[in-house]
Amino acid sequence: MSLEVAGVEFGYRRHSVLEGIDLTVAEGAFCALLGPNGSGKSTLTKILARILTPRTGTVRFAGRDLLRIPRREHAKTVSYVPQSSEAPFELTVREAVLLGRTPHIGLLPTARDWDVVEAAIDQLGLAELRHRHLSELSGGQAQRVLIARALAQEPRVLLLDEPTSALDLRYQIETLRIVRTITRERGVTALIAIHDLNHAAHFCDQAVLLHGGRIVADGPPAEAFDAETLGRVYGLEVRVERSGDTVDVRPAELGGAPGADRPEPLGRP
Amino acid sequence: MRPMTLATENPPGAAEPAARRRARGSLRGLTLLLGVAVSLLAVGWCVTVGTSGATLADVWHAVRLSVFGGVLTAEFEQTFTIITNLRLPRALLAFAAGAALSLAGVVMQGLLRNPLVSPFTLGVSPAAAFGASLAILATGGAAGSASWLVVGSALAAALAVSALVLGLASARSMSTATLLLLGIALTQLFEAMTSALQFVANENTLQAIVRWTFGSVNDATWREVQIVGAVTLLLLPVLLWFAKDLNAVAFAGDDAAKSLGVNVTALRVGLIVLAVLLASVVVSFCGVIGFVGLVGPHIARLVIGADHRFLLPFSFLTGGLLLLVADTIGRTVLAPSVIPVGIVVAFIGAPVFINLILTRRAAAR
Repeated sequence: MSLEVAGVEFGYRRHSVLEGIDLTVAEGAFCALLGPNGSGKSTLTKILARILTPRTGTVRFAGRDLLRIPRREHAKTVSYVPQSSEAPFELTVREAVLLGRTPHIGLLPTARDWDVVEAAIDQLGLAELRHRHLSELSGGQAQRVLIARALAQEPRVLLLDEPTSALDLRYQIETLRIVRTITRERGVTALIAIHDLNHAAHFCDQAVLLHGGRIVADGPPAEAFDAETLGRVYGLEVRVERSGDTVDVRPAELGGAPGADRPEPLGRP
Repeated sequence: MRPMTLATENPPGAAEPAARRRARGSLRGLTLLLGVAVSLLAVGWCVTVGTSGATLADVWHAVRLSVFGGVLTAEFEQTFTIITNLRLPRALLAFAAGAALSLAGVVMQGLLRNPLVSPFTLGVSPAAAFGASLAILATGGAAGSASWLVVGSALAAALAVSALVLGLASARSMSTATLLLLGIALTQLFEAMTSALQFVANENTLQAIVRWTFGSVNDATWREVQIVGAVTLLLLPVLLWFAKDLNAVAFAGDDAAKSLGVNVTALRVGLIVLAVLLASVVVSFCGVIGFVGLVGPHIARLVIGADHRFLLPFSFLTGGLLLLVADTIGRTVLAPSVIPVGIVVAFIGAPVFINLILTRRAAAR
């Protein structure tokens, strides 16, 4: 039961952001959406989360078009982790995670809703903090609360919009590890908009490179990353070093190991 | 599609026992019940204040007599008349008006994700006062404050202004400061326009308009109590039904709320109309009473937390109590003169508002 994005186009007035996105992500796969700022990866994530409405296109999952089912049904299948969130009111971790049950509950949460919330809190190692206020948490802890909230939705598809951008290295790795665990253990399909190519290469099963609103590369990271395409997309000469299944990308001017896949310089006379 | 069940891989002792979890919920339920009891007692007590020799028992007796009927003895007749014709409608109108303004405040604060907004600070109440003044002037003061023309005119002005403010606020995702400045500008504008109306008004009309700008529950009638009370009591369950959606918008923001399955645009339009309706009904009967929509929710949030499922009903109570107590102070402190409740509430509200501005966390902008 894969996620199939077909013919998705999006734009503001005359300015086009996404031009015909076709993409398939296998069930339980962890897919990275990569590309420079303005390439459309965040926009695509927001379309899948039903925050933005595309001009045309379909997103099929489990036999339904996720863009056309009722919003509440969509929220029971797809959950979304924003880059960050600030709450203007004092809220405890439990209350924040309970928000994830919004599409499931009527007036008041049931015992099962609370069980799901507690399990999500435990899964993300927030047990000690459950009665703390959000304002007392560190950036990494706050990010984990947002992921716990998304898990409390009991999604089949998990979307993350640059969740690691504001985090230090340790929390970046931790976040990616948590998401990968979720995909492995529960068969949840995850899509993450992310900047760091090497993190994507290490943690994700699929790398999708966007440039100017189009997909320019799609496949397992080791195959999708190639020095010429990356150089063109980022406007920067890069080296791509492969060894077995792993791949390492670095700007050419930072030097590289001998024997690396060294491209002809691009866009230079 | 197999349903995702979250594994129970809790470290021992980490999970909170279900019993304690339930205790937390019922604690807030208990607080709510306590609030209802306190409110009822407060209404009774405020009725006795300033009524010569009347006790809580007399109030209860009077209520029982008027509801169930019975023999009205000669020596109780005077007290009965004072209680049922003067004190009780006044106390109930004060409570209902406070409750309505407080509810309107909670809803606006939640939707705009900003604890500093209220019908008053956004210029909605001054606009309603202008609309009402215009109607009073147009009818040459013939229409009493409770006429439908005045109420309708107040409502129309309030809706127009809130559409403007909230439309701008959501279209430009304004910061708190910008939003409050916009509110100040509109307040100034509408107060000036109301003053202009006063300038051209004749003696009678002028008096009717001035009554408005003060904000009072003097000369409360049962009809006013019925209308304000009915609107407020009817809208409370409607608002409660949307409490979880309001939670999503208030705590997670528009984008995340959409991804949580909330139809944010429809919710925003619908709830704003209800909030403005609450505020303008009060303004059209009682005039401009500031700060209740700000202070009521603030007190409630301190006591019961930010969850709108509990915050909405509790704000109803705190707002009602606030205005009730303020009015009782207003009619006793300089007795026999009566200070309009709007003035008393401003003395309580302004310091709280200033304190709120100064102590807000930097993180909340």
